Amino acid sequence: MAEIKVEGLSKEFGVGEDRVVALENVNLDVKGHVFVSLVGPSGCGKSTLLNILSGIENPSSGKVTITQDNREAEPGYVFQAARLLPWRSVMDNLLFVQKDRSEETRARCQKYLEMVQLGDKVDKYPGELSGGMQQRVGIARAFSIEPDVLFMDEPFSHLDAITARSLRRELHDMWRQTRKTVLFVTHDVGEAVELSNRILVFAKGGKLEDDLQIDLPFPRDPAEEEVAVAKAQVLRKFEELDLIAS
Amino acid sequence: MATVATTAPSAQRGLPKWVKSPTFARILFPFVVLGIWYFIYYTLDSRIFPSPQQVAVFMWEEITLTSGVRYSSVAENIYVQFGITLMRLTVGFFIALVLGTIIGLAMGISKKVDAFFHDWVMAVLAMPALVYALFLGLALGFTSRGPILAVVIAGTPFVIINIREGVRNTPRELIDMARSFEVPQNKVTRHVLLPSLMPFFFAAIRYAYAVGWKGLVITEVFASDRGMGWTIKFWYDAHRAHGVIGYAIFFIIFALALEKLVFDPLANRAFKWRPRIDAVGLAEGDMTAVASEAVLLLENQEVEQGVDTTVAKGGNF
Repeated sequence: MAEIKVEGLSKEFGVGEDRVVALENVNLDVKGHVFVSLVGPSGCGKSTLLNILSGIENPSSGKVTITQDNREAEPGYVFQAARLLPWRSVMDNLLFVQKDRSEETRARCQKYLEMVQLGDKVDKYPGELSGGMQQRVGIARAFSIEPDVLFMDEPFSHLDAITARSLRRELHDMWRQTRKTVLFVTHDVGEAVELSNRILVFAKGGKLEDDLQIDLPFPRDPAEEEVAVAKAQVLRKFEELDLIAS
Repeated sequence: MATVATTAPSAQRGLPKWVKSPTFARILFPFVVLGIWYFIYYTLDSRIFPSPQQVAVFMWEEITLTSGVRYSSVAENIYVQFGITLMRLTVGFFIALVLGTIIGLAMGISKKVDAFFHDWVMAVLAMPALVYALFLGLALGFTSRGPILAVVIAGTPFVIINIREGVRNTPRELIDMARSFEVPQNKVTRHVLLPSLMPFFFAAIRYAYAVGWKGLVITEVFASDRGMGWTIKFWYDAHRAHGVIGYAIFFIIFALALEKLVFDPLANRAFKWRPRIDAVGLAEGDMTAVASEAVLLLENQEVEQGVDTTVAKGGNF
């Protein structure tokens, strides 16, 4: 079982007058097959936390441990923009992040491309695909390394509402099939309520303000009353914490 | 009620579609040049300025080695002279490419190295070819070393600037992606850094080749007793404009052929991943857009510094 443990994590950028606190003393424990959303206003340190967890950035202080059954866990990452190599085909983009190019690895990549409905686009270049398809490749790439934990940084924020909705469903199906631990950054409360078991609310200055449990069965339809009520409750919480700009 | 303005069908018809095509425009250009040439020939009424037919006949004799006049005064034929120039261009071009790539990489990576070379690269860029042509003649005599060095001097700054911009525009977001997936550095170099440098490298090759020619011919005019530049000078001294114009056209045709038969296929092969749509509108993370931005950035920078803005067109492939 995967576990993400964050203890006393702080991150600052710049020095002196230019000093900006991105994260302040964040403590967190995420365990097992859960879908956890990190929500909060822009600049509250959500993406910074994800970057530190995935090793792109180093913390100023504090400790991060990501384990899977007492060994170091392998993370996968889905970015805001797909971040594909434009000069490599769809299949080569997946193979780029693999440890080898064996037949078995190729078959695995093919399997995940089929899961995102791009099994027939393996030889295409990213420039030949739509934005939604590119993001699908990004999702397949993250799943294809069969990671223990998955970090996602606003993966649907660049897409139109209809594409984003169908991708959310695909992602959720994949999550339920593969039983990964997911940390999902979003600024869309509706998206967080639709997808997550747990919502971590961040405030400006990088403080973790609240940890909300959403105990509703999956799949959730945003049009359903229970889901709408849950969304309203989370938004009320935002108001209580003064996170909604007037 | 809202009304929508439309173009009248008659206005849309106008010229046939094939006349408006870029291919037609491309084919039309030499004919326009030929027309202007004839116009000048008939209005100037000069004994020196030749007609296109006279130049064609002259060059035909040169190419078929049937010129009676020429071989009494010039030791080598067109192929030997052209071979000498081509050899000098090739050697100088490769030296410029290697030297420029090394310095450009170092300037892109290190601010200190950039500060060390920056002003001098700009100075060499701004230096007229005539200055180093004369100097090389004086310093090295009438050997191949001078013309080869002229190609190096002319071409290297263009390679340096393009490669430096390429390094400065390495796609940070793709490198971070590779890092988060723990992709080994050598794989990142091969699959991310080198391909992202390719548009800049191709721009470097094309510009170094084009300016290398110019520097070389001028140097051969003043500091060589062989080669195409010297041959053009020979016909100039002989008051035979046929030779000056004919050899210049021979040059132009060769340069165009090289562009179409070597550079274009190479570029098409290297950039086959590029969609055939407006490059600027591509998704974030696409190198085409990055390269285009780099070009704009560089052009602005060069304008500010008062240097020729034709220096680097990293994204124009």
